[in-house]
Amino acid sequence: MQKRLYIELENCIGCRSCLAACTQCGGHEQRNRNYVYDVNPLKDRQTMPLMCLHCVNPACARSCPAQAIQIHETGAVLSALVEKCIGCQNCTIACPYGIPKFDTEQNLMYKCDLCIDRTKDNIPPMCASVCPTNTLQWLTDEEIENKKQQFNLDNDMWVTSLPYLEGETNVKVNLPGILQGTTKLF
Amino acid sequence: MQRDKFFREVENVRHPNETLIKTHCSYCGMQCGMNLRVNTKTNKIIGVEPRYDWPVTHGKMCPKGVTAYQQTNHDDRILKPLIRDDASLKGTKEGFREASWEEAYDLIAKRFNELQNNYGKDTLSVFSGVSMTNEKCYLTGKFARVALGTRYIDYNGRFCMSSAAGGFLRSFGVDRGSTLPWTDIHETDCLFIAGSNTAECHPTSMFRVWHVQERGGYLIVADPRETPIARRADVHLDLRPGTDLALANGILNLLIQNGYADEEFVANHTNGFEETKELVKEFTPEYTSQLTGVAPEKIIRAAEIYGKAPNAVVMFARGIEQQHKGVDNVSAYTNMALVTGKIGRPKAGVATFTGQGNGQGGREHGQKSDLLPGYRKITNPKHVEEVCKVWGITPEEMPQPGVSAYEMFELMEQKTIRGLYLLCSNPAVSAPNLNFVRKALKGLDFMVCADFYLSESAEFADVILPSVTWSEDEGTVTNLEGRIIKINKAQEPIGESKPDWQMQVELAERLGRGKYFSHLKTAKDVADEFRLASKGGYADYYGATWDKIDKQDGVFWPCKDEKDPGTPHMFLDKKFYHPDGKAKICALPYRPPAEEPCEEYPLRLTTGRVVYHYLSGNQTRRIKFLRDMCPEPYVELHPETAAKYNMEHEERVRLFTRRGEAIYKVKITEAIRKDTVFVPYHFGHEQSINLLTIAALDPMSRMPEFKACAAQMEKVETKKVL
Repeated sequence: MQKRLYIELENCIGCRSCLAACTQCGGHEQRNRNYVYDVNPLKDRQTMPLMCLHCVNPACARSCPAQAIQIHETGAVLSALVEKCIGCQNCTIACPYGIPKFDTEQNLMYKCDLCIDRTKDNIPPMCASVCPTNTLQWLTDEEIENKKQQFNLDNDMWVTSLPYLEGETNVKVNLPGILQGTTKLF
Repeated sequence: MQRDKFFREVENVRHPNETLIKTHCSYCGMQCGMNLRVNTKTNKIIGVEPRYDWPVTHGKMCPKGVTAYQQTNHDDRILKPLIRDDASLKGTKEGFREASWEEAYDLIAKRFNELQNNYGKDTLSVFSGVSMTNEKCYLTGKFARVALGTRYIDYNGRFCMSSAAGGFLRSFGVDRGSTLPWTDIHETDCLFIAGSNTAECHPTSMFRVWHVQERGGYLIVADPRETPIARRADVHLDLRPGTDLALANGILNLLIQNGYADEEFVANHTNGFEETKELVKEFTPEYTSQLTGVAPEKIIRAAEIYGKAPNAVVMFARGIEQQHKGVDNVSAYTNMALVTGKIGRPKAGVATFTGQGNGQGGREHGQKSDLLPGYRKITNPKHVEEVCKVWGITPEEMPQPGVSAYEMFELMEQKTIRGLYLLCSNPAVSAPNLNFVRKALKGLDFMVCADFYLSESAEFADVILPSVTWSEDEGTVTNLEGRIIKINKAQEPIGESKPDWQMQVELAERLGRGKYFSHLKTAKDVADEFRLASKGGYADYYGATWDKIDKQDGVFWPCKDEKDPGTPHMFLDKKFYHPDGKAKICALPYRPPAEEPCEEYPLRLTTGRVVYHYLSGNQTRRIKFLRDMCPEPYVELHPETAAKYNMEHEERVRLFTRRGEAIYKVKITEAIRKDTVFVPYHFGHEQSINLLTIAALDPMSRMPEFKACAAQMEKVETKKVL
């Protein structure tokens, strides 16, 4: 059964292991394609990863005049084909999350391809493989559904599970606040 | 093989012309499993692939681990022995010339012999480290005592694990860093974590820590800073640096007063309860709050949670151990588990987060000034006799105990020690009071340094011997659980570099001591002798054969013979290692930090680590990804403290203590106490915070107080550029 990337933002410790691991994927030419941000710099140490969510109807691909951004059968939105990309940077503007990066020297965009040489065989992508906190996980739909039920919370203060953010995405996300609904053991 | 809920059956990606060598990380005590990718045409390491089936970490790695492989074929590797003829250049990178091994060995033998002929055997010293295999650690102890015949050997565990060792020995009669395997941690009901920046220093523990909370369990964190783990804690005990003993006593008092003591356990399996009960009475929540700066209600809440928890694990790290009362802190937090009986069963116990890769194994087998293999004492004639049999020397030939790491620098300064063989350590960054230490190194008559990079300490050497990285040799390491694991060789040593054990054998031959060393031709030969030397000791490795380690995913010591599977859980029979089988509950009067803030130095300086660097940074500062993420040290200030000094984010500040000064960039964060400033210690030369730290040593462990001293700062006025 094809698994998905699942992100539990509450868990992130900002170690940026996912960035280091991204450079290790076969097709990534030692360049990382994801981001980790400090949420409240000067205040606390909360951090969050920003990964490509692999939209079902991706704005990057739609905006590409050269049809360079292909969608793999697993749903992964691939990095632009080198031979097709014209370096217009439409995708970097169109993406609501600011995911695609641009290589000004080669005049080419590059982005997360969900480690397609791994995930096509259901091997977890490098970022989720190494993530020390389980912020990034590689799960079946059933496991993701269990997570959503476990952490489902909509109490006017916290909303942790959203069906999708900006359009439907292949990557599923739980927002911070999951522990607010946990029943304590004692 | 133990498999927990986090295990997933995953096939690794296999690229053409590549083979995967299963091994572990080179860095911290977690010893995360990893596969090194080796190109089968060039036989060089080219990358890393997760080791999903390693039961402790399931393929997870921190950014140091992911990039660790980049050390092996790094441009900065020393490829040939280096000799510096001009001693006036000591303390710089200048003046080294390449030499043959022959020339280097000849020079070392000549100078060592000269020094010993003129000043006696003990004029030489060995300063070692524990970021290397048990086999190397073992042989280094033998090298010092049998090849050099000196009493002066000690190691950088004095700046790392020695307080934990001292505390455990006093409380339990045995020093195994964790009383339970890490695969238990996510199943406990309460984690009480003191002085551990776990998310940055042992990141791959974090999925288990978070899982405790996901299950509805509790996380209590004691730390002057709101570290990433403290941010999510149920209770964050934000204490003043250096006041842990008061906090631990305060919590113990509440546990006893509120009826959480396990009377049956205390009566049958411990000594010292009544005396301790009397002593901690004074530590009411209010008095404890006064000493520690933690609100009384937080102390009460923490004690209530720990007391009520069916199972709980007390964990700690350098935050409590690197104090001049580090041993007392360890025993005081351990008291919590002993009084409530939350120990000696699965999912409950006490653990320290071991810092260095082999911080556990490396301290057990004779690199410490007073220890011999198997955790034997050099002051115990029976122990000496047992080891002498293996080494082939007479008890009369065994040197006396030496002194601790920092005290060796004092003896260098006094010219009692004139020669040094340094390996696997970088004390010119990691020792406290560095102005003194660097002067002591510079004043040596002759110094040898074995390293694979030119460290800040190597800059003081006359001869540098090129050693290998962890990936170019094999052997065992004991991780933070007490699990003996196997490091495998992924590539041949580059250039003319050699493993430390081989250098020591060859050097022993030059020194005319070959008959005690020449039979050791491979790492496996050293391993076999080492297992035999540990046999019958507290830390008995005799049954931990390389085969068994491979079959069982590691072997927990003690492991006495071939049939013994090892000991994942300690004290399941409620038998402790003191002669009467009981653990000791320790009555520990409070002592403040050695240097308290005053008018002149009103701030509390504490030091620590960031996730991107390992210890002195000699390795990680050379890795591009890690250097880019954290290129320089900084001083963390609370915004109110910054405002008092009229300082803004990213401005430069001169930070100074009675011992030294340094200039740092200001990093403003509300996640630190207002009376405390923090600087990470991984940096060399004028950036080292250890220029400022105090060498107040713990009376038992001889651990310096890295975690608390008094400091002051002033803004560095930047010259206006026209």
